[in-house]
Formats: sequence, structure tokens, C-alpha cells
Amino acid sequence: MSALVLSSSLVLMLLLRQRIVIMLMLAAGFSYLVWGDGKLGYVVLDTWAAADQEVLLSIPLFILAGNIMSRGSIARRLIAIMREAMNPIPGGLAIATVLSCAFFAAISGSSTVTLIAVGSVMYPALIDAGYSKRFALGALCAAGTLGIIVPPSIPLILYGVMTETSIADLFKAGIGPAILLTTLFVIYSMAVNWSKERAPFNFAAVIDALKNGIFALFMPVVILGGIYAGWFTATESAAVAVFYAVLVELLIHRDMTLAELKDTSLETATMMGSLFPLLMMALSINTFMAYEQIPAALVGWMTELVSDPVSFLLITMVLLLAVGCFMDIGSAILIISPLLMPLALSQGVDPVHFGVIMITNLEIGYLTPPLGLNLIVAMTAFKEDFWLIAKSVLPFLVLMIIGLLIVTFTPSLSLFLVK
Amino acid sequence: MEFARTFLKVVSKAERTITLLAFAVMTLVIIADVFSRKLTGVGIAGAPRIGVFAMIATAFVSFGLASDARRHLRPKFADSWFPAHWDATITRVQELLTAAFCLAFAIVAVGVVQETYELGEATRMLRIPVWPMQAIIPFVFFIAAIRHSIFGLIPELRPVLEDAEGLDAIPSGVSDDAEGETA
Repeated sequence: MSALVLSSSLVLMLLLRQRIVIMLMLAAGFSYLVWGDGKLGYVVLDTWAAADQEVLLSIPLFILAGNIMSRGSIARRLIAIMREAMNPIPGGLAIATVLSCAFFAAISGSSTVTLIAVGSVMYPALIDAGYSKRFALGALCAAGTLGIIVPPSIPLILYGVMTETSIADLFKAGIGPAILLTTLFVIYSMAVNWSKERAPFNFAAVIDALKNGIFALFMPVVILGGIYAGWFTATESAAVAVFYAVLVELLIHRDMTLAELKDTSLETATMMGSLFPLLMMALSINTFMAYEQIPAALVGWMTELVSDPVSFLLITMVLLLAVGCFMDIGSAILIISPLLMPLALSQGVDPVHFGVIMITNLEIGYLTPPLGLNLIVAMTAFKEDFWLIAKSVLPFLVLMIIGLLIVTFTPSLSLFLVK
Repeated sequence: MEFARTFLKVVSKAERTITLLAFAVMTLVIIADVFSRKLTGVGIAGAPRIGVFAMIATAFVSFGLASDARRHLRPKFADSWFPAHWDATITRVQELLTAAFCLAFAIVAVGVVQETYELGEATRMLRIPVWPMQAIIPFVFFIAAIRHSIFGLIPELRPVLEDAEGLDAIPSGVSDDAEGETA
């Protein structure tokens, strides 16, 4: 009966257009009041305990580093390198688009920023070069999603925080699937644009582009190399990323002024104002569930229904694909990962691998109506019809589902750097 | 109405200043600590704690900034389930309900802070009392309650932007009116 009251209240809140943070506040308060020992103060204490963690420092720092780098001319410099290098290959410009997105994603950590930054340059370039509108839109929207699987990825950090999984390991595990998806996009781009005109390889132009963009290319090397070599923890690499970004944009490229740095910091802080209270409320509910042994009960119930890891992973995939259609990735991770994680463990799925599966799965939600964020952003940025964009991503959706299946059923692809 | 407008302006300005300061402290302290640890082998004593407290201050104080910028995430797929002419009323209820929840949270938080004060809880490493830091929570939520009450009672003062829809919907470079509905 209580569960019905809570569910009805949440639906009512949804109809009354409430913010997710308020809905989580209601869920946390109701849980402690009705199913806990009736003390609402625990919600506040859990919120405080959730906030009081050093590992969370990596989130604002990575977002700040990404925002700083995204403000300057990094995208343009990266695109120049990729264009010059890919010119002689069939579908070179399309491949350059995909690779620019992958590299820029590793710098910005954001899918929509990647889509806009690369798309604003490459969309008109692709159309001018005779690529179809459908292909150009599909490639940009799909390659733009790489931002959430290519480390440093904020969703991977959120998963790590919610499930107490090593963020450094998650970053390492994200590399394989990111390369796989990028490769699938590249092969497809080459195949469908095989007959497009190619330009001769210009060694001098490549060197020139490299000179201009070397600092941009070096950033993922600093972050991922540092983590992989064991020099940095996730938080340390985030701090180094901010330092590097400021150094490059303020002193080397000189694309950013101190006033712009201030604006970027304020913008990042504002994002924290929406993300962190949400994270804290979700962690509060998580603490309550752990205290009440809900995950354990869920595992017991689920093991009766699902007997093998393959069925579990397939059911999880379908569930997450459906969730991705209606929920943003951050909320989905905050709410669902603590519930699914014990189930995954009970089926013998590695927690790091499961994190990568979840993120890859939810990444597809960026391309699925009605709430596919990249579809909405592309519609505004490129001023194209929503349904044209939704149709244009279909071949890429198929590729991503193939990629997801490979990632899900080939754990070594994710874990080869971790173990 | 003028008083409410001035109140919102002053509060926003104060929040921006505090947020920027706290964010700068967080970033600089952590960078300094990391470099010190990597270069000399010894970190700055208490730096991670200071960084975390600055992060907490930033996160809570910027709750108001997110309200002003309409950056709080909200599922929107059910928005069209009611007739369009109900929008104004639903928006008022939305804001007043948010205000009520913020107020309730603030009141509960006062009790928690009081308890922490009476217990004399101190932080690890720095050995300073926890309660002044915790006091940010009720303070911020009281302000949020007032702010959202004003938005509900005087809709003209509600920021005219589109609500954020997803975690990634709010990076720099993406306008707030990502769905095309601007003022």
C-alpha cells in the first residue's frame, strides 16, 4: 500500500512538472518516514555524507577542464588535423568527422558539446562536399555520443560514485568500447561514401595542422596516460586536466581571456548546482536501500527469475534501452545503477564491465526519440526537421546495438587494460 | 513586486560571488595539492578536506544559480498531457510545490545542524567544527523556498528560459533555449 502511495505521488509530481531533485527528495523522505525509523533528519545526514567525498571533486574539475577546452579553438584545430590526415581515404571527410568527435569527446567529456563543436564546422563541410544530409546528420549525432564513453566521462564517474567502483578502472575500461564504436562508425562511413572524391595526401599540410593542434591532441594522452601509468587517481588527473586546459587556452593558444575563464567557471558551478543535489539525494536513497537490504532482496527475487548471466544481460540491455528513451543518462545512472549492480554481481558480471555496459547502453538513448538529447540538439543547431534527424541516425543505431552486444558479451574488450 | 525583484537580484549576485570564490578555492587548492604531492612527494596538509568543503559550498550555493538559469533537470515527456491553457496554473503549482519541499528540507536540516553543534562534531584532519559548514544546507534551502515561492506567486519574476532536460543538456556552448522556446 505504501509503495502505491509513493508511486502515485511521484506520478502526480511528474504531472505537476516537478524537478527530479524534488521527486528524489520526496522518495527519500517518504522511505525514511514510512519504511525507515521515521526520522527525516537521516535524509539530510545522508545528503551531507554523500557530498563529503573526495572522489566527487573529479566531477566539477573534469567538467571545468572540458568547458575551458571547448570554449577555445580546440575543435577547429582537431578537425584540421583529421581532415588533412584523412583526405586520401575514401569517405575521408566523413571519417575525419567521426575521429574529430572521438578526440574532442576525450577532451570535452560531453556529447552535446562534441556534437555542436564538431558539427558547426563539419556539417556544412560535409554538405558542401556532396555528402547526403541524412548521412551527415546521422554521423554527427552518433559520433557525438562517443563523449560519454570516451574517458574522462562524467557518466562513468557517476556510476563509480553510485556503485563504489574504481573510477580509474572505469576510465581504462571505457577505452576499448570507445575504440570499437569509433571503428564501426569509421568502417560504415568509408563503406557508404566509397565513391566520394578523394584529395591527395599533403604531408606539409598535415604537419602544419599537427603543429597547431598538438596541444589539443596531447590532452587525452595526459589524462589517460597518467591514469593508465598509475601516476594519477581520477581526481588528480582532473586537477591536472584543468591546469593543462588553462595553460593551453590562456597562455599557448590565447583563445580565452580571464573574464571568459570566470564565465566558464560560473557556468560549470551552475551545472554543479543542478547535478550535485540530485547526486546527493540519489545517494541518500541508496544508503537507505542498503540499510534496509533492498538490493539483497531484489537479488533473491531476481535469481528465481533469471538463472544465467546471458539472460540477465539481455534483460538489462532491453530495460536500459527503454529507460534511455525516456530518461536522461545522469538520472538513469543515479537511480538504476545501485539496483542493477548487486544483480550483476550475483550473476558474476564484473562491476567495471557492467559499468561500461550500462553507459554504452544508455549512450544509445541519446539517439532515440522522444528524448534523444543529440536529436534535439542537432535539430536546434542544424535547423533540420526532428524526424529527418531521427531517421538519419537509424543505421548508426544498428551499429551501436551491434557494438553494445560485442561490449556486453566480450568482457575482455573492456577489461584488457584493467587486469 | 519591486521588493521581490530586488531581493532576487541581491540574492543572485551574492550566490554568484560566493560560488565563484568557493569554486576557485576548490580548484586551486586541489591543483596545488596534486602538484605538491607529485613534485615534492608531500601534499598540502588538509588540502583535500578544504577542497571538499569548497565543493560542498559551491554545489549547495549554486542550487540557486541553477534555479535562476532553469538548469534543474526535469522530465518533460508528460508536459503535453494537460491542455496548453493550464500551463500557467501548473507552473505556479510547480513552483509552490518546489518551495514547500525546499522549506521542509530546510527545517529538517536546521534540526540536524543543531544536533551536530550539540555533539561538537569536528572534521577529520582539520579538526574544525562541522556545523558551520552544514549550516549551508538549511540556509540554501530557505533561500530556495523563498525564491521558488516568489516564482510561484509572481510568475513575471520567473526566469523565462527552457528547463534543462538531461545531464548533458547543460554544457557551455549550448544555449538554454535548446528546444527553441525562448522568451
